[in-house]
Order: sequence, then C-alpha cells, then structure tokens
Amino acid sequence: MIRVILIIFVCFVFSSCGDSASDGIKTSDKPGYEYMPDMYRSHAYETYTMNPNFSDSMTARKPVKGTIPRGFIPFEYENTLDDFKRAALELKNPYERSEKNIEQGKQLYGMFCAHCHGQNGDGKGSITHPVYSAIPAYYDDVMIRPRSQTTMKYLEDGHLYHAIYYGYNAMGPHYNLVSDEERWKIVLYVNELQNTEK
Amino acid sequence: MSIMFSKTILYFAFFFLTLVPYFSNAQVDYLIGHDIKKGEELYKANCTSCHKLGDEKKARLIGPGLNPEIFEEYTEEWLISWIKNSSALIESGDEQAIAIFEEYNQSVMTAFPTFSDDDVRDILAYIENPPVEEVSIVEVLDVEDVQKESINTQSLLLIALVLFSILGFLVFIKNSLKKASKIEETIFQGFKKWVLSNLVIVIIIAHLGVLCLIVLGWQSLSKIGISQNYQPAQPIEFSHKVHAGQQGIDCNYCHSSARKSKHSGIPSANVCMNCHANIVEGPKHGTKEIAKIYKAVGYDVDTRSYIEGYEEQPIKWVRIHNLPDLAYFNHSQHVVAGGLECQECHGAIEEMDEVYQKEKLTMGWCINCHRDSKIDLDNPYYHGYNDWIEKHKKADLTVENIGGLECGKCHY
Repeated sequence: MIRVILIIFVCFVFSSCGDSASDGIKTSDKPGYEYMPDMYRSHAYETYTMNPNFSDSMTARKPVKGTIPRGFIPFEYENTLDDFKRAALELKNPYERSEKNIEQGKQLYGMFCAHCHGQNGDGKGSITHPVYSAIPAYYDDVMIRPRSQTTMKYLEDGHLYHAIYYGYNAMGPHYNLVSDEERWKIVLYVNELQNTEK
Repeated sequence: MSIMFSKTILYFAFFFLTLVPYFSNAQVDYLIGHDIKKGEELYKANCTSCHKLGDEKKARLIGPGLNPEIFEEYTEEWLISWIKNSSALIESGDEQAIAIFEEYNQSVMTAFPTFSDDDVRDILAYIENPPVEEVSIVEVLDVEDVQKESINTQSLLLIALVLFSILGFLVFIKNSLKKASKIEETIFQGFKKWVLSNLVIVIIIAHLGVLCLIVLGWQSLSKIGISQNYQPAQPIEFSHKVHAGQQGIDCNYCHSSARKSKHSGIPSANVCMNCHANIVEGPKHGTKEIAKIYKAVGYDVDTRSYIEGYEEQPIKWVRIHNLPDLAYFNHSQHVVAGGLECQECHGAIEEMDEVYQKEKLTMGWCINCHRDSKIDLDNPYYHGYNDWIEKHKKADLTVENIGGLECGKCHY
C-alpha cells in the first residue's frame, strides 16, 4: 500500500516539473482572464474601438469637411503633369542644408523610402516584387524622365516633393505618412543621393 | 527499304513545307536570332514598374499588360519607335499612338533613347515568349489548404466517434450499477464502507487533492490580466514575416504614428494600397487575402481604379496588446525619447506570420525595464535641460532616476 502512495506522490512531484511552454511557444486564440473587465477596457471610446454611433462603426473619424488641423500647410498643387512642372519651378526647400537636417532626412528615408529606392538610392531596395524591381537610381544621369524632361540626377526639389506627395508611376502617395517638414528633410537627403558618385 | 526511306523523307519535307507559310506569315518571329535572356534582363530592369506580362486589361498596371497579341495589333517598326520615344510618336500624329495615350489616362511612357533597335527586339522576343506563369504554385498551395481542411474534418469526426463510444460505455456502466445496487446496497453505502476500511490512503489523497487545488488556484490567479502568447485570428491573413522580414519594410512605414502619438497606429487601408494597387497577388494566398483590402476601400482590380461613391468598410483587426485602462502608455515616448526598438517589447515580429503577444505586459515587467534601462543624455529629447545634464553627466542614470517608477507617471 505504501508503495502505491509513493508512486502517486512521485508522479505528482514530477508532473509539476514539466513546463508546457518550454517546447516551442504555445499560443492561444483567447486573451487572459480579466478580473474586472471595466478596469481593462475603457468605457470611453478609444481610437480604434467599435462605435455604435456611426454607421461604419469606426471611432476614428476623418476631419470634418472644410476644417484643417493645427499647423497645417496647404499644398497648392494638383496631381497633374502641369502642376508637377510648376512645383519644380516654384518650390524651394525651406529647410537649411545642415548636417542635423540631413541626418534626420536619412533616418526618415530609411523608414519610408529605402525598401524600394535602396539605402544608397540605387533603386535596389529590399522589396523583390517585379513591379518594384525597375526603380531608377537617384544618381542616374542617362535616362531622360518623361514628366520632368530631366534625368534623375537633375530632378528639382519641387519634382521630388510632388512625387512624395502624390506618388509617381507605381509609387503611391505618401502625404499622409510624412509631414511637410519630414518631406522636405527627405528631399534634403535625396539631394545627397543624387550627388553621390557611382 | 530504300523506297520506304525516301517516302518518309518526302513525307517530312512535305510536312515542313506546309509549315513554312505560317512562319513567314507571322509578322515577327522572334524565336530565331534574338536573345530572349538579354531581353528578359532588359525587361526586368526597365519595364516592370509599369507593365506586367499577361492580358492587356487584366494585367494592367500603369500601362497595358503585354502579351504576344501586341504583334497582331502593331508592326515591329511601330513598336520600336514607340518604345524608344513614345511622345515623339504621339506628336507626329500617329493614330495608334494617340489612341493608346488617351486610353491610359494620358500617362507618358518613359523614353528609352539608349536602347538600340536590337535591344528592343530582344525585349519583344521576351514578350512573345513569356515564361511559364507561376500561378501553378499558388494552385498547389490552395490544394494543400483544402487537404488540411479535410484532415481537420476527419479528425473531428474521429473525436466525435470516440466521444460517442465513451458515452455508450458510461451508459452501460450506469445501467449495470443500477442493477447491482438493487441487489445489494446503494453506491454511497459501499463507498462509505470502503473509506472507513482504507482511512490512511483516503487522508493522504485528500491532502494531495487540496494541495493540487491550491497550486492550480495560484497558477490561474497569477494569469489574471495576462494575455501572453495571445494570437487571435485576424480578418486578413496578413504576414509580418513577409512584409517586415522578407521584404524589409521598416515598421515605421505602416505604423507611422508610433513616432508621433500614444498609439502605434493601425495603418489605414490607403497605406496598404501604396503597394497593393499594383501587387494584386501574394505568394501564399494568391489574390484571396489582398482582395479583402480592395473590398474595404472599393478598388476595381480590372480597371485599376477606385470605384466612385463606394461606401468604404473598416477592416476589423483584432487588438492583441492591450494595457488595462488604468495604465497610461505612450509609444512616441518610448520610440523617440527612449530610443527603443519595436522588437524589445513586441518580440521578433519580423519572424511571425501571425502576430502574438510575446511579453507579459505586467507592471513588474515595465518596472524591471525602467530600473535597468540607462538613459542617453545625448538624445535631443533632453536638450534644454543643460544645467541638469551637466550635473548628472557622469552618473549612470536609469529611467528610475528620472522618475520612471513614480505611480503618477503611468497611473493618473
């Protein structure tokens, strides 16, 4: 009888040693228990919570028509070829070509541009899809681009800004990802890439 | 024998002769005399931004899809001058050129003056002999998925069968026990008798039982409010491994508000569309999952344009990381001022197909990091506190030293 008890006891001790999570991560499709759910989940609507007051159930709303956010700088150029050319003639980079600004531009370029345009601006980014495999290098001085009638190397700041804002060919518009200041700083860094020798 | 031989020769000669008109009738035959390999290289380096191989309408990107049909519609001469300088051709008043210019929203095709005529012919040869499509791989994968599903239903059936047989067995025991109890004594009486005769064992088992309950209770209590390894199914089978890992897209590209606000921001569908307006097919699920973005934003793949007046539908992503409402957390503070990498709290997201919560996100976890993390006084965030920085420059300051453990920092 004592043997039986011993066996049971030993089994119990050993069973508590095993860790179910030690062999690979065991994931669950359910969140943990919540003791007082109203302390975990806000009663007030948060940015991404569902909202029964709107027909599309989204709490995050678009700005009311005719309003602008504080500090907003309008971009008075349309997404047309004429305005693309006009932007090149009229726009000037308001930010100083300082080391600090270029460094910031480089960081932003790494976040928003490098996966297609390549960290050195050679057009060989990490994206392997064929649609994004024929991207011209910024220092290219051979091929005349149809819209700007210049080579990549001699694209004006306004060209670059307009292209970031509205996109160009297979590139999508990026005005909602980077602010006005950030766009100009990216342009500063792209200027550096245009002038790299290759 | 010799007659037979000459007959076969005649037969083959006749056969090939009948084929000759087909070869010569074809407007351009690029199979002979052109370097398809070189054409492929040139095509991939210069054309793929705007053109895709396939049906003119279905494979439309910026420009039309390219397939051997273009040789029926246009002459070789026309194609060469179009590719080398399309705007000159349009200005010269060529009808076909103007028609295609108008059809594709007056978008100008890049001129390629550096190409020689032979270069263009090589590219045309490549277009005429497109590589075997990769669609078959996707189909194979789909079949695998179906097989997996069928295995799942099979195993479910098996489990149901086992459960039914257990149920039947239990009913049988119950009935037989009923019969037995009628003859001798009730189960309770029997049990009581057994307990009294084996008192030592019962007491030990009871102790173990209580111990088990305490341990289990402690474990489950310590799990309250912790969602570690939580991996809910998401409405779109989006893979961070493909996007952030294999394609190397920076986290900040899609989660661009992590640098600027409390939230790291779920990218709105227009961020997806920056690439997926052109990439309509994924490596794993084909067009199925990407089509869900198009449904949300109202994008017509065939015409490559947004449907006007479409009522957009939100994509209902399931939130994984959730701090209780009583704790304040700000992404920008940790990403910009703290200079943390996303992976330090979220784990190796770039290796996860489906994201799960890596860390516990308990208060102890936060506090430990605040105690250990050194702060970088060179960070521009601390500029403006110059006197203070001078005073503390030599000390190894941690987040704790600048008030990172004060209750009111996170709970207010």
